[in-house]
Amino acid sequence: MSTDQSPKEIGSLSFGLMNPEEYREMSATKVITADTYDDDGFPIDMGLMDPRLGVIDPGLECKTCGKHSGSCNGHFGHIELAAPVIHVGFSKLIRRLLRGTCRECSRLCLTEDEASEFRSQLERTRQLGEDLNDVTKSAIRQARKQDRCPHCGEEQFDIQHEKPTTYYEVQDVLHSEYSEMVAAAMEGRPVPQMDEDPESTEREPMPPQDLSEETGIEVSRINEILSGEFRPKEDMRKRIETALDIDLTEEDMNKLMASDIRDWFEDIPDEDIETLGIDPAKSRPEWIILTVLPVPPVTARPSITLDNGQRSEDDLTHKLVDIIRINQRFMENREAGAPQLIIEDLWELLQYHVTTFMDNEISGTPPARHRSGRPLKTLSQRLKGKEGRFRGSLSGKRVNFSARTVISPDPTLSLNEVGVPERVASEMTQTMNVNERNLDDARRYVANGPEGHPGANYVRRPDGRRLKVTEKNCEELAEKVEPGWEVARHLIDGDIVIFNRQPSLHRMSIMAHEVVVMPYKTFRLNTTVCPPYNADFDGDEMNMHALQNEEARAEARVLMRVQEQILSPRFGENIIGAIQDHISGTYLLTHENPRFNETQALDLLRATAIDELPAPDGELSKTSQADGGADGEPYWTGRTVFSELLPDGLELEFTSSAGDTVLIEDGQLTEGTIDEDAVGAFGGEIVDTICKLHSNTRARQFVNEVATLAMRSIMHFGFSIAIDDESIEPEAEAQIDEAVENAEERVQELISTYDAGELESLPGRTVDETLEMKIMQTLGQARDSAGDIAEEYFQDDNPAVIMARSGARGSMLNLTQMAGCVGQQAVRGERINRGYEGRTLSHYLPDDLSADAHGFVENSYRSGLTPREFFFHAMGGREGLVDTAVRTSKSGYLQRRLINALSELETQYDGTVRDTSDNIVQFEFGEDSTSPVEVSSDADNDIDVEAITERVLDEEFADESEKAEFLSREAVETNISEHQDSWKTGRTAGVGTEVESDD
Amino acid sequence: MVDVTDHELVPEHEILDEEVLEEVLGEYDIDRTDLPKIKRLDPAIPDGAEVGDVVKVTRDSRTTDRAVVYRLVVE
Ligand SMILES: [Mg+2]
Ligand SMILES: [Zn+2]
Ligand SMILES: [Zn+2]
Repeated sequence: MSTDQSPKEIGSLSFGLMNPEEYREMSATKVITADTYDDDGFPIDMGLMDPRLGVIDPGLECKTCGKHSGSCNGHFGHIELAAPVIHVGFSKLIRRLLRGTCRECSRLCLTEDEASEFRSQLERTRQLGEDLNDVTKSAIRQARKQDRCPHCGEEQFDIQHEKPTTYYEVQDVLHSEYSEMVAAAMEGRPVPQMDEDPESTEREPMPPQDLSEETGIEVSRINEILSGEFRPKEDMRKRIETALDIDLTEEDMNKLMASDIRDWFEDIPDEDIETLGIDPAKSRPEWIILTVLPVPPVTARPSITLDNGQRSEDDLTHKLVDIIRINQRFMENREAGAPQLIIEDLWELLQYHVTTFMDNEISGTPPARHRSGRPLKTLSQRLKGKEGRFRGSLSGKRVNFSARTVISPDPTLSLNEVGVPERVASEMTQTMNVNERNLDDARRYVANGPEGHPGANYVRRPDGRRLKVTEKNCEELAEKVEPGWEVARHLIDGDIVIFNRQPSLHRMSIMAHEVVVMPYKTFRLNTTVCPPYNADFDGDEMNMHALQNEEARAEARVLMRVQEQILSPRFGENIIGAIQDHISGTYLLTHENPRFNETQALDLLRATAIDELPAPDGELSKTSQADGGADGEPYWTGRTVFSELLPDGLELEFTSSAGDTVLIEDGQLTEGTIDEDAVGAFGGEIVDTICKLHSNTRARQFVNEVATLAMRSIMHFGFSIAIDDESIEPEAEAQIDEAVENAEERVQELISTYDAGELESLPGRTVDETLEMKIMQTLGQARDSAGDIAEEYFQDDNPAVIMARSGARGSMLNLTQMAGCVGQQAVRGERINRGYEGRTLSHYLPDDLSADAHGFVENSYRSGLTPREFFFHAMGGREGLVDTAVRTSKSGYLQRRLINALSELETQYDGTVRDTSDNIVQFEFGEDSTSPVEVSSDADNDIDVEAITERVLDEEFADESEKAEFLSREAVETNISEHQDSWKTGRTAGVGTEVESDD
Repeated sequence: MVDVTDHELVPEHEILDEEVLEEVLGEYDIDRTDLPKIKRLDPAIPDGAEVGDVVKVTRDSRTTDRAVVYRLVVE
C-alpha cells in the first residue's frame, strides 16, 4: 500500500494530558442538544449527529472538510460541561497528587534537597529504562509523612479515596458530644462513645478544681465547657484529654468536590510536577479534571439503519445523550437556584455518566445498561481484552487469502509439498502481471472462468479498473487480456504457500510448502512433517496462507520451505525424519538383511529416483534357501537396497537403538540395523549428517525416499498387530504368576516384621515410610521380572517387539503390561491410600497393608483386570489426565510470557544481541556466535580446524615446496580502494566521498 | 563468613578502568546504561564497586573457553 492512501503519516506519538483549550480548538462544533435527527430524518445542527462531525451516509458531503464518506475521517466536537468532573482513568494519579501536595499552597511537601534528590533519581531511572513509577511513588510516600507543609506550615490531612471518583479529607475535629464526655469523665462514670465496656472501666472522679489545677484552665471555663457553651480549642482540648485520659476528637470526612481539586491542582508549580515525573510542558494536572468533553466523530460511532427503516444508534452515542441531558438539567437547576443538595446529586450523576462513558466496567459502579439490560460498550471496552482494538484488530486480525480445513496423510507427496483441495485453490489467487511471454497462459486462465480450475477470479485493466471474471463473461474477457493487465489466477501446482498448525510453539509450526492441487476437501501432507507441526490425523485442522507478492514468495521459498527447517534450532538436530511405520519398515529391511530377487528389489525402489539396481550380492542356491527363490537367481540384500538411497562417500558409524553397530562406508551400509537412531525424526544420525555434510536438498530427497522405501518394504513383509501377539505360552504365564506370588509373599513378610515392631527404619525415614518404600520396591521388582519373563518368550518377529526395539512406537514396558503384569498403581507417587478411613475400599479390612489392598494390579491388560484392580487403575489414570491438562495450560502461559519477553531481541551485525532500545543482552550470540544447527551434533567431535587446513592445503598444492612457499609468503596488502584505511577507522576521507543514503 | 568470590563457580569480576571502559563502549557504540546490570550488593562483585562502575565478568563457557561480559553496577 502506498503512503498516499493513508490519511496521515505518523511522525511521532506523544502521550500526555490534553489542554481543554485544545479540545475546543480541534472541535468542529459545540454539541448542545441531545437529539440526533429531526422528524424528516436530517441530523440536527449542534446535535450529536451534526454533519460537521463527519459523514457516514454515502453521497453526502462533510461540512467541515468537504470530503465524502470513506475519505473523511470525521471530526471531533465538544461538550462544555456545566461543572468539572473527574477523569476515571486518572483516579490513582489524583489520589497521589492530593496526598503529596499541600492543601494550602499546593506545593509538593518535600524540602528542596529531597525534591532535587528525587529529580536526579528520576533522571537515573529514565536512563536505565526502568519504571519511573517506583521513584514517584516513593516521592509521594516521603511527602505524605510530613504533618505540616515545609513551605507554608499548613497542617496536612490524610486523603481517603473512595473508588472510583470520590475523595475525602480526613480531619480530627472536636467530638459533637464533647461536653457530655468531659462531664462523665469528671464524675468517674464510663465515658459515652469511648469506653466500650461500661462495666469493666474504672475512672477516678475529678472535681472541677483539680482539673483546673492540672490543666491551668479557669473553673468558670470548665463549667462553660460542661454546659456546652464553650468549644475548647486544640491546645486546651489536648490538656483536658491528658488530664482525664479521654479522646475528645472524632474523624470528619470532608468531601473534595471536583472543582476544589481543580483549584488545588492549578496552583501546583511546574517544578514540583517535574519531581513527580510529569512533563509540565505537555501536561498540567488540572487538565485531569474535565471541563470540556470531546465528542468522538460520528465515524467512530456510526448509526445503523435496521430493516424496518428505524435507526439504531451506537452505544457511545447513547452515552453522550445521557451526558448532555444531565448537563442541561444541571445548568437549568443551577440557574433556577435549586438547593445545594439537588445540585450535588446532579453533579454526581454527571460524574457517573462521564465515568461510564470512558469505562463501563469499573468495580463498585453499576454499569450503564441498554434498555434491553445489556451493558453498554463504551470507550475502554472497545480497546480492552482479546477482542479489543489492540489484541483483536491491530496485533491480530482476520486475513484474506487464507484457508483452513482438516488434514490427512499422503505418502506420495514430497515433504515439501501440500495437497490443496481444488475448492481452496480456486478461491486463493495469485496475481499475474501479464506480458508477452505469459499472455497465452493468462488468457487460458481467464477463459477457464472462476469455476474451472485453473481459472481466474478477477482481472485488472491498466487503467486500474478491476473486473470480476464470471462464467458468462470469461470467454469474452479472455480475448481482451493484453500485456499490462493483471490476472488473479487460481493456485496451481508449484505455487508456494504458508502452512501452519496451532499452537505455533516454535519456528517449524509455520513452514512454506509447494502446492499440489488435489480432489476432495482435505489438506494433504507427507507424514514426515507431522513432528514439526505436532500434527496427527484424528481431526486436526491446519491453516494455509497464499502469498501475495513476489518478495514474500521469494522469502518463503528461500527461508521457510520445509526442507530448510529439517534441522531444529531447539536442539541442533533434525526434527524431520522417518516416523512410526517408516521405522518399522527400514528395520524389517535391514535388521536380518533379507534377500530380494530382481523383481522384489525393483519394486522396493520403484517410488524412488533409483532406476537401476547395483551389482547383485550373490546368487540364490537350493541349499541355503529360506528365501524360496529359484536356483541361480541373483539376489540383493536389504542393506544393499537401502544403500542405494545414501549419498556416495558417506562415512558413518554409530549404535542403533536396536543395539547393534551401524557401519556406513563410502555410502554403503555394510553392517547394522536402520531404525529410529538412524533415520528417525528428532536426531536420526543419517538424516542429520546428510543435512549438515551435504545439503538440505539432499536430506529432503533422502527422507522422502526413505519414507517410500520403508512403505514398500513394510508392505512387502506385511505388518499387523492383534491381541494374540501379546499372548505368551502357559509355562511363561505360570512363571509370571509364581514371580508375582513370591513378591506378594515377601510383602506379607515385610508386613509381619513391621507388625512385630522389628522392621528397621532406613536412615532419615520413619518405620512406616520404610515399610512403604520396601513394599513399593518389592512390587516394582515383581513387575520387572514378569516383564523379563514375558520378553524372553516373545519371538523376535513379534510386531510389538519390532516396534519397541526399532523405536517406531511403544516400549518394552507397554509390552510387559500387556502380556505380563500391569503393576503398582500410584497416586501422587505413593501406593493408593485414599478412600475410606484406614482402607482403600470396603472390600478390605481396615489397616490391611497388603499389595492388592493398595492398588497392585497383578493381572495383565490381556488377561483382564478384576473390578477392584480396574478401579485402582482408573484412579492412577485420572491423575495422569489431570496432570497433563494442568501442565499444558501452565506451560502454555509460561511459553507465552517467555516469547513476549524475548520476541524483540535481535542479533546485530556486530554479533551482539540487543533489544529494541539497544540494551545489550549478550555480547556475543550464544557466547560463540554460532547457530545450533550449524554445529556438529556429535558431542565429542569438535571441529578439527587443523585437519581441515591441512586437507585444504594438500588439495591446493601439488608438491611440498609450493606449499611451503605459500605458507612463508607475507600477506600482500590488498588494494580494493584508496579509501580502505578510512573504512577501518570509520571516518570519511574527504569531501565528496560521502555516500548519500537513498531514503 | 564465606567469601563467595573464592568459590570455583563464581567467575572473575573486576572493575573496569575508565579508559578501558570508554574503549568498550566505543566498540559497541553504546552508553553505559545499555549494558546488562548487576546489583551493587551482589556478593560476587569486588569491594569498592560503586553505582555507575562497570565490572568485567570473565567466565568459563561451554561453547567458547572464556566468555567476557560487562555489567553496569546499579543500586
Ligand atoms: Mg490430533
Ligand atoms: Zn470531514
Ligand atoms: Zn503549603
